[in-house]
Amino acid sequence: MGQILFAFSTIIVGVFGCVAYFYFSNLLLDRALPAKGPNAGLNINRANAIRPWLFLGPAIVILSLYLVYPVINSIWLSFHDASAANFVGFDNYVWLVNDSKFQESMLNNLLWLIVVPGASTLLGLVAAQLTDSIRWGNIAKSLIFMPMAVSFIGASVIWKFIYDYRGEGNAEIGLLNSIVTSFGGSPEAWITLGFWNNFFLMVVLIWIQTGFAMVILSAALRGIPEETIEAAILDGASPLQVFLKIKVPQIWGTIAVVWTTITITVLKVFDIVLAMTNGQWGSQVLANLMFDWMFRGADSGRASTVALVIMVLVTPIMVWNIRNARKEG
Amino acid sequence: MADIAGQKARLTWAINISVIVLVLLWTIPTFGLLVSSFRDADQIASTGWWEALFPTERNEIFRAKGADAQNLVGDVYQIKGNLFEGGQGAIIAFGVSSLKPTAYYPGETGKMSRDRLLTLQANGDYVLASPKPFRSSRGVRIFATVQSPPKFTWENYQKVLFSEGVGRSFLNTFTVTIPATIIPILIAAFAAYALAWMQFPGRALLIAAVVGLLVVPLQMALIPLLKLHNDIGIGKDYLGIWLAHTGFGLPLAIYLLRNYIAGLPREIIESAKVDGATDFDIFRRIILPLSFPALASFAIFQFLWVWNDLLVATVFLGNNEEQLVMTGRLRELLGSRGGDWEILAASAFVSIFVPLIVFFSLQRFLVRGLLAGSVKGG
Amino acid sequence: MIKLIPHAIMASLLVSGSALGNDLKFTPGDDARFSWDSYNQLKTKDLSGETISIFGPWLGPDKDLIESVIDYFEKATGATVNYSGSDSFETQIVIDAEAGATPNISVFPQPGLAANLASKGHLAALDSKTADWLRENYAAGQSWVDLGTFKGKDGKEALYGFFYKVDVKSLVWYSPENFEDAGYEVPQTMEELFALSDQIVADGGTPWCIGIGSGGATGWPATDWVEDLMLRTQTPEDYDRWVTNTIKFDDPKVLEAIDLFGKFALNTKYTVGDKVSSVDFRDSPKGLFTSPPQCYLHRQASFIPAYFPKGTEVGYDADFFYFPAFADKKLGKPVLGAGTMFAITNDSKGARAFMEFLQTPIAHEIWMAQKGFLTPHKGVNTEVFTDPTVAKMNQILLNADTFRFDASDLMPGAIGAGAFWTGMVEYLDGTSAEDVAKDIQRIWDSIQ
Repeated sequence: MGQILFAFSTIIVGVFGCVAYFYFSNLLLDRALPAKGPNAGLNINRANAIRPWLFLGPAIVILSLYLVYPVINSIWLSFHDASAANFVGFDNYVWLVNDSKFQESMLNNLLWLIVVPGASTLLGLVAAQLTDSIRWGNIAKSLIFMPMAVSFIGASVIWKFIYDYRGEGNAEIGLLNSIVTSFGGSPEAWITLGFWNNFFLMVVLIWIQTGFAMVILSAALRGIPEETIEAAILDGASPLQVFLKIKVPQIWGTIAVVWTTITITVLKVFDIVLAMTNGQWGSQVLANLMFDWMFRGADSGRASTVALVIMVLVTPIMVWNIRNARKEG
Repeated sequence: MADIAGQKARLTWAINISVIVLVLLWTIPTFGLLVSSFRDADQIASTGWWEALFPTERNEIFRAKGADAQNLVGDVYQIKGNLFEGGQGAIIAFGVSSLKPTAYYPGETGKMSRDRLLTLQANGDYVLASPKPFRSSRGVRIFATVQSPPKFTWENYQKVLFSEGVGRSFLNTFTVTIPATIIPILIAAFAAYALAWMQFPGRALLIAAVVGLLVVPLQMALIPLLKLHNDIGIGKDYLGIWLAHTGFGLPLAIYLLRNYIAGLPREIIESAKVDGATDFDIFRRIILPLSFPALASFAIFQFLWVWNDLLVATVFLGNNEEQLVMTGRLRELLGSRGGDWEILAASAFVSIFVPLIVFFSLQRFLVRGLLAGSVKGG
Repeated sequence: MIKLIPHAIMASLLVSGSALGNDLKFTPGDDARFSWDSYNQLKTKDLSGETISIFGPWLGPDKDLIESVIDYFEKATGATVNYSGSDSFETQIVIDAEAGATPNISVFPQPGLAANLASKGHLAALDSKTADWLRENYAAGQSWVDLGTFKGKDGKEALYGFFYKVDVKSLVWYSPENFEDAGYEVPQTMEELFALSDQIVADGGTPWCIGIGSGGATGWPATDWVEDLMLRTQTPEDYDRWVTNTIKFDDPKVLEAIDLFGKFALNTKYTVGDKVSSVDFRDSPKGLFTSPPQCYLHRQASFIPAYFPKGTEVGYDADFFYFPAFADKKLGKPVLGAGTMFAITNDSKGARAFMEFLQTPIAHEIWMAQKGFLTPHKGVNTEVFTDPTVAKMNQILLNADTFRFDASDLMPGAIGAGAFWTGMVEYLDGTSAEDVAKDIQRIWDSIQ
């Protein structure tokens, strides 16, 4: 009982503290600069200048502390050695460029960046459109969404039962090998196949992210005004044409958002790789390389350098996507 | 007309079938885990989960009863018993040595070393006979090929659900998750509104900055932030983890919500302004209700992310009873080397349960909010 | 029947002990085999009000065991001790130390990690008397002092770590009954082990189950093999030079050990399955217990019975023998081991007192009397070992001519928990020992 009370009161304090800030700060502003009386015009102008910052204040404070500060810290660390005590100039960057694991990670990451966001968005879009047009769509949606609710560690166990390899002569407990052998093929240790294992890992992330894409895109599809679609149907457009020519362009902005979000997830995801291969058999990716140097190698300089590369790598993709969204939207 | 109707019916069929295929592809992996979560560890390691429903044929090793169970019948020492001890199964073949585990058929008598004889029936009854008394308290090994019916167990779930401290961890997780979901949404919604509809210098720059922050890898922030928490006296506590989750979730929240709020019809907001409503009123009365679908979908994702998080929780919260969350508790249950897949399977389903409820309940809001919002086109 | 009585009494004692609300595992004074003197002496210290936090890698049953030891300390001194364990101990202690949020005492499974933290000033040096105590009271005391001595932030060497709980790694597991059925004998030398392996192949069987898969840590079981073989082909001094990189990783001496491992693991007739690197180490021992047996031998540390099939009893269904040395190398009987090291990460009066408690025989005996605990402490009464298997392991430890610590745990993390693992995976997947070793050495060069 005490525990429940504690949990409950902590939750209340946390949530209401936040609500109270917005409520009272606005109230205070309204009282201090009332939109009435002799100085009404001046007060309204002043209040309008201040209010955005009341709205933005908490976000700016938290973002600077929790994200900007670590980034600056990392830039500083990337010019220092493992103990963060001695300045080493560009040594870490030079090391990085020449490191074979880093080169491998870069190539793999590019593969991931090309395949995963595209595949997830496309599959999500198809799933959204198809499930929206059938009666049991909501059930189908929930089932496709379900992988989102599984933790990464859970996901890696789930896929272990797919990719597992037992060697010839043993009963396979991995589904994939069981299918392969039933068609007369010979079993493979899938996640140890150089290069191809990247795709087996990607499948896991696509499996997870499709649900995300589907939920957001389905919301966008439903937001398209009925009239436009009806008009197109009356003009004799086929369902496929309606989908490709009318619906997709209308939600282009949302597609870009989904694509961008998944791109970022791809760059930051390391749990799947960590749990399934830890970057061995040629499947290393940047985020996991960074984790390795941070905690196994205990070298904050190198880890920070890798982190900065991740950030730089994703920037053009972001800029391109946002521009695109602006143009089309 | 009939032709069009026929085409439509065929299209509906095609759609239904493709959705079924899609759903199957997406659920089979999870379904495999669900089945595995009801099997015991040895079975998981020996046969595929898709065979769980069929009787399995396996070579097993049993032990006869020890010397305590022997009786002197005539001048022969006998041990009698049944291999299944109340369980079910049928013997297909058996053997008395690990080299030839399938040498005999049920009903036959196998010759063991030291002139011992073993007779085994298909139902598992065995008679072990020896001219000299048995000495070892541990019985001899009997190798048998057994056809056994499918077997399922609740044991894995019992272990996960009723082990000590799970209830407490469940509460702790809620204590982390609820504020860590609501606070970022609130803060982000205000910020998103300001970035979408309020005029002030530096707005474009701020938008770009928020988008830029999306790329910051979380791992990079752990050490500097924990250091910060210690320096300002928060230490490892709930406040710290709320703030951390808020910080890590904010860029995406602002980005998604701003995109949505900026797309709301200009006329509604402007007419409200003409009526003399302040920005706070507009936000409360118009923006919040209209952007419910966006809020709900982000809430789902933030909730899932916080619920399933282990890394942030292990860094920003302590490991003690008052602060250990579910993911951490499950990690403990797995033991220090994490090889218990049956426990992992069961715990994955225990932890999937709450997020699914959240998804189902918010999904309704999602649809309703959207229907209300779709008026905007008109 | 007579034999059963003491157990029955023991059991009833245990039951009554807990029924009385006494949470100590063994009631002080009851069983004369325990060194209760050392417990009673503890009572002279009064630490009531003092709270000590301990953080380590032990979870599940191991956590219960360490807590059963801690109970005695709490009872005697009045202090409150909170132990918490984590599967990701290595990661978390780094974060905590960097952020300055460390527990009072940390339990390190890898001395390399502790050395790293010590060099950054996160550990507090132990009393100067502790080193003398170790030399006097631990078997091979000087080596334990050396293993726990690191350079601090000021560059000066001091004793930081106190070893408590040791594991033996040089063990080969087998099923005695399968050996009996096939007529095999436990080999006494490495030559005999090879001969036995060939014999098994000739009989149509497969000798070894080897699996080095371990999710994110895939490769570590192979490093144990190489270390064990290093000790059997090179002098202990060379082993130490290898650990400190005085002998380079691509030195012919190291290559010899790696290739000797290859003789086992890369010989497709010797191993079950054709892809050792993808077999999970937790699954691989199960082959010993199938019918017919998939394999007859499995080299792994003392913890592995936890992954045997349910109901397997060590001593009957499964047993182990010492991973033998070459008869013609004259290197004696080397033993590879590992251990956990306690170190103070946040100094306090209570932490110091707890470290002293670890020197008392009773702190070792409580765990010994339960299960899975080996110790080099000479002052403990080995009669408290209830498990004959553990007693046998301790015997291997005591018979050792050389004891060496797991090299990968001593190497820098980037090597011992990184490049070495990855390298072994590549080696087993077909890269030559030379190329693998060169790669590892290059990374080692880059971090110096």
